[in-house]
Amino acid sequence: MTLVPVTYKGGIYQHDIVIDLIEDLGGYVVQKHVLAQEVVLQCFVPKDDIELIREISRPLFGEVTDSPLVGTEIAVVSMSLEIHHLPHPSCDIAEYVRRLGAKSNMVSLARGPGKRIAGLNDEERDVINEHDIAVYLLGNFETCIEYKMPTLMRGIEVPIVLCGGPDIEVLKKIVDPPVDGYVGNVGRFMRRTKEADQLDKLDEIVAEITRVLEKKRDSIAKDPLSVSPARLMGLIREKIPAILDVTSPTPLTVQMAGLRVKLPYDTYAAELRKVEIEDGILLGDVAEILPSRMRDYILVRILPFSETNTVV
Amino acid sequence: MNAIEYFEVECPEPLGAEYYKQIANDVLLDHNLLRVINKLHIFIDPKVPVFVAVGTLKRITTIVRVRDLANVNPQEGKMTLVVSDETYLASMLKIFWERFGKEKVEQPDRFTVILYDIPTSAQEIEEIVVADPSESLFKDLIYAFRCISPEGFRLKSERFSTEKFSFVASENTLAEDIDALVREKFALMGETP
Repeated sequence: MTLVPVTYKGGIYQHDIVIDLIEDLGGYVVQKHVLAQEVVLQCFVPKDDIELIREISRPLFGEVTDSPLVGTEIAVVSMSLEIHHLPHPSCDIAEYVRRLGAKSNMVSLARGPGKRIAGLNDEERDVINEHDIAVYLLGNFETCIEYKMPTLMRGIEVPIVLCGGPDIEVLKKIVDPPVDGYVGNVGRFMRRTKEADQLDKLDEIVAEITRVLEKKRDSIAKDPLSVSPARLMGLIREKIPAILDVTSPTPLTVQMAGLRVKLPYDTYAAELRKVEIEDGILLGDVAEILPSRMRDYILVRILPFSETNTVV
Repeated sequence: MNAIEYFEVECPEPLGAEYYKQIANDVLLDHNLLRVINKLHIFIDPKVPVFVAVGTLKRITTIVRVRDLANVNPQEGKMTLVVSDETYLASMLKIFWERFGKEKVEQPDRFTVILYDIPTSAQEIEEIVVADPSESLFKDLIYAFRCISPEGFRLKSERFSTEKFSFVASENTLAEDIDALVREKFALMGETP
């Protein structure tokens, strides 16, 4: 059964029918937002059953659309928190990928700007590595990008999509070692992205992120995870009720190969390891429970089949 | 609004120059500064790296008076001011309080101010100077150029006078001959520093 990421939008009336249907079909609801009279569900559903969901939700005026970024956590790496980079373009891009289902976090570097003086410290590096992908937003000059990029990439293990002012061919030529994705002509600008051509550029960024993530998904599929992150999410919600009291918008953030649990590590790590998934298999057997560098959260990294010899 | 007479961005990277022209235009427009700049030449060399902005300013004589933001209607024993622009309302009220006393100034709603029994004519009220935007001009200009220049360029040298200005920024210590570069950029606009 192939699960595909989709977004469901519809009225609040009888939306629980849709949730039940998704769960009965073997899908998972990753995020649920209730906005006044509207409900937005970001979920994984079986590929063959999308039509069925469409049909059942038609009387409720529900809409099912593809959302390739659902279930991913993206680091939007901004060079600083100054007016030079915020709110445009950093927030514009972070917000745009959020609309397509991703959970985006803005990672702003303490010493990001400049050419010679640019740097990346260990905390920033570790925080970026906790995500599925990093989107680097750089400036307008190829000289600066060429000079600082090797420093900013040092120690980063996740795929990088680089956005910069020069043309895409130039970016490909100057970045050494090469990164996974490039989007040209998006450097620093100080106006809101609202015109059609600017929105096209945002779509181009999303397309590039999707392409890189697909590649990552394919490589994960070659050595499948021992348990699906979305399934683990439901399980933790069921077994550790403390998560229901967390006021963060996404107390459990689903990633492609893991999960961020927004509970204190010292208090809950042991309890989390002991969560039983199925037939006596504990979470600690199929995943690493690590302290996150983001606040005192817990990071669950699910191990692949090759390491555990189990798939649940 | 009069357009800038001369506006150029010079850079070894043509695409970078184009982006910075857009950034400079957006920032100056946002801060309402295009009306005070007459000529502007920006030079950026990311290889050095250095950012230079030189330019000339227009003479600003726009003093904001009561008549610019409100209609004064004299009535029996009182004077009613109908405010059309709230921007300078707070400073106008402050001036009235100081001059006539708080008991004689009343503001029943956002757009109305009533002055009771004041020994001044409507014409005199209209001529009261409320604000002088040129006071904060240099502060605004310096802020705008800090926004325009690349963020990493933290070592700055700024010179602002009533007619001309120069703004130089770099991430390295500024070279001693930076004045020669500023002079050269002024010369491109047909000016001297």
